[in-house]
Amino acid sequence: MTEPSTAPPAGAAPAPPISPSEPPTSPLEPWPDTVTWRPVSRKLIAVELLGFGFGLAFLFLVVAIADGFGWPYPGASYAAVAAFGLLRAAAIVRAVFAWGYAERERDLLVRHGLLIRRLSIVPYARMQFVDVTAGPLERTFGLATVQLHTAAAASDARVPGLPPPEASRLRDRLTALGEDLGEGL
Amino acid sequence: MNLTGPVAVAGGVEPRQRLHPLSPLLHSAKYLAVLIAAISIQGAARLGWRGFLGTIVVAMCFVVAYAVITWLVTGYHVLGRELRIYDGVLVRRTRAIPLERLQSVEVVRPLLARMSGLAELRLEVVGGGKTEAPLAYLSVEDAAALRERLLALAVRVGAPAVGTLPAPPPAAAVATPSWPDAPPRDAPPPDAPLLAGPSPDAPPPAAASLAAPPPAEHQLHTVVNRDVLIGQLLTPQVLFLPVAVALVVGQYWFDTSAWSFVVFASMAVAVIGVLRQPVRRVMSDWNFRLALQEPPAGQHHPGLRVRHGLTETRSQTVPLHRVQAVGVTWPLLWRRRRWLRCRLDVAGFSQGERDGASSDRLLPVGDLATGRRLTAVVLPGVDLTGLGLRTPPARARWLAPWRAPVLGAALTEHAFATRDGRITRELVIAPYLRIQSVRVVQGPLQRMLELASVYADTAGSLTPVAHHRELAEARQLAAELTRRAQAAREADQQTRATEPGQTPAGDAATTS
Repeated sequence: MTEPSTAPPAGAAPAPPISPSEPPTSPLEPWPDTVTWRPVSRKLIAVELLGFGFGLAFLFLVVAIADGFGWPYPGASYAAVAAFGLLRAAAIVRAVFAWGYAERERDLLVRHGLLIRRLSIVPYARMQFVDVTAGPLERTFGLATVQLHTAAAASDARVPGLPPPEASRLRDRLTALGEDLGEGL
Repeated sequence: MNLTGPVAVAGGVEPRQRLHPLSPLLHSAKYLAVLIAAISIQGAARLGWRGFLGTIVVAMCFVVAYAVITWLVTGYHVLGRELRIYDGVLVRRTRAIPLERLQSVEVVRPLLARMSGLAELRLEVVGGGKTEAPLAYLSVEDAAALRERLLALAVRVGAPAVGTLPAPPPAAAVATPSWPDAPPRDAPPPDAPLLAGPSPDAPPPAAASLAAPPPAEHQLHTVVNRDVLIGQLLTPQVLFLPVAVALVVGQYWFDTSAWSFVVFASMAVAVIGVLRQPVRRVMSDWNFRLALQEPPAGQHHPGLRVRHGLTETRSQTVPLHRVQAVGVTWPLLWRRRRWLRCRLDVAGFSQGERDGASSDRLLPVGDLATGRRLTAVVLPGVDLTGLGLRTPPARARWLAPWRAPVLGAALTEHAFATRDGRITRELVIAPYLRIQSVRVVQGPLQRMLELASVYADTAGSLTPVAHHRELAEARQLAAELTRRAQAAREADQQTRATEPGQTPAGDAATTS
């Protein structure tokens, strides 16, 4: 409705990125020949990195303050924080590439995770409601998160980093299919 | 950015509506008391009267400003067959709830709202532990009208049985369970809050059932009280209590000067604390009787009638089609006697469900034959002794050296069963029909060993997990679970559609 509209960058076409050529990054792929995985937007990397950047800046601040109070190993501490930041940033970048979702005829598949790899298979018929959320950083980059809720709290069907048109499309498709199929519980 | 997006809905898009303009004031009024309390604790004396009032006024300005912004971004509208709710100041959220999924719509009027002539509309869906979508606040007329409209749109949902007219106290809006043969209440036991009241877990009272005669039922099983007592004596708490008491007493035996009333009192308190749970169990499992209830007219789902309790006789009906999973436990100390315990996981109809001192028992204590018989009643076609559990490959021992030989998973005709736990062995059986979603999880170590775990999520707390399966097997398990769950859902829908005398409303009264 009245969400502040940030103009999507010129290069980002609203068309959902479909890449059937995405190489399998995880062994947890049932039906490898019939499922086409869709990646999430690359802009999610920027969102996640910025969010992590704030945390890292805070860490640097802590070290700086400790330095001011006479902490004996400032150099090593800065180096440690920087090393941690670099490793984590690399992991964030790779984790974004690990996210993927696929809409099958009857269910939604979501896979994510780098260290711990997860695959969720959630039937549309089990959908209770769908949330589309967008935090401040996500809105700046024109992204949104779609989350499918089922009666089971453990169901884990969250797809971040979707361009708003794609998010709306996915949401509408999920609710439409959920209405057609089944009764939820 | 436009989260709403172009939505193709026949019948046009109705404009987004705001909550009542007084809502922000009411919301911030809630914070006033908190604020005063917080500042008083921090020492109002130091601030002085003027400082105190000034602080509160300034803080309230911020609170009201925030509430107004919240109000500005909050809205709702009905789009086709779904309700959209928009909220969130920093993190914007759009929630789409298909109206068929609404479990109940209540008009609730808390004290402040009643004083200002407003009402809150609470929408509940299955799942999540709280009210998913409160619309606070609307004027009473709007709330009632919206409720009528939502219920009319949600044709398939027989919510009128649950949603009630605007009721003055919030508690009254929640349907109070009442049974045709409500158990006579004895004098409330000392720990009344723990046992008080019939569990809200039982099916909704569906006004019609009040008038109907109690349906026929036949006795299934009666638990011998002696076994309940022995079973609770054979718990770690009770067994180790004499040792602990002896240690404490022995310590003071040789040094009588240290013995005092305080020592005695604190020991007594500790003993009572430890014994509380077993005693409560014995009291609530006393006279445990199970009966199978014929389905009431217009419905085809039998119910399980459970009666139990020593000081307070309780009886509840568990509709069998609401059972999400069955858990069978073999505690270590009971193993010599070959006893087991069976639990039912019934989907939470009531969100405010307490930890359910007794709502989940299928068999407090019994032998394998009984457990097998009762499990077969609750989950037809499941044979406890012939599940055909398969253990994970030998290399799973690297990850679960102790449990690996016990781990097991089986796909039976109607249910998914998994076993876990070396000391307290537990078997979880979930019918395919109740599986909500399937997950495959693989940790780093599992990846090195080429193993993966498969979860079958249910709406309850019992979730069957097949730990450390071989990769190909895990993949096959996931595919098979998905397929079978879907087949079960389709079969269920067909029986629902063809079943004569099965009114959607009547069914919804029990499923909601």
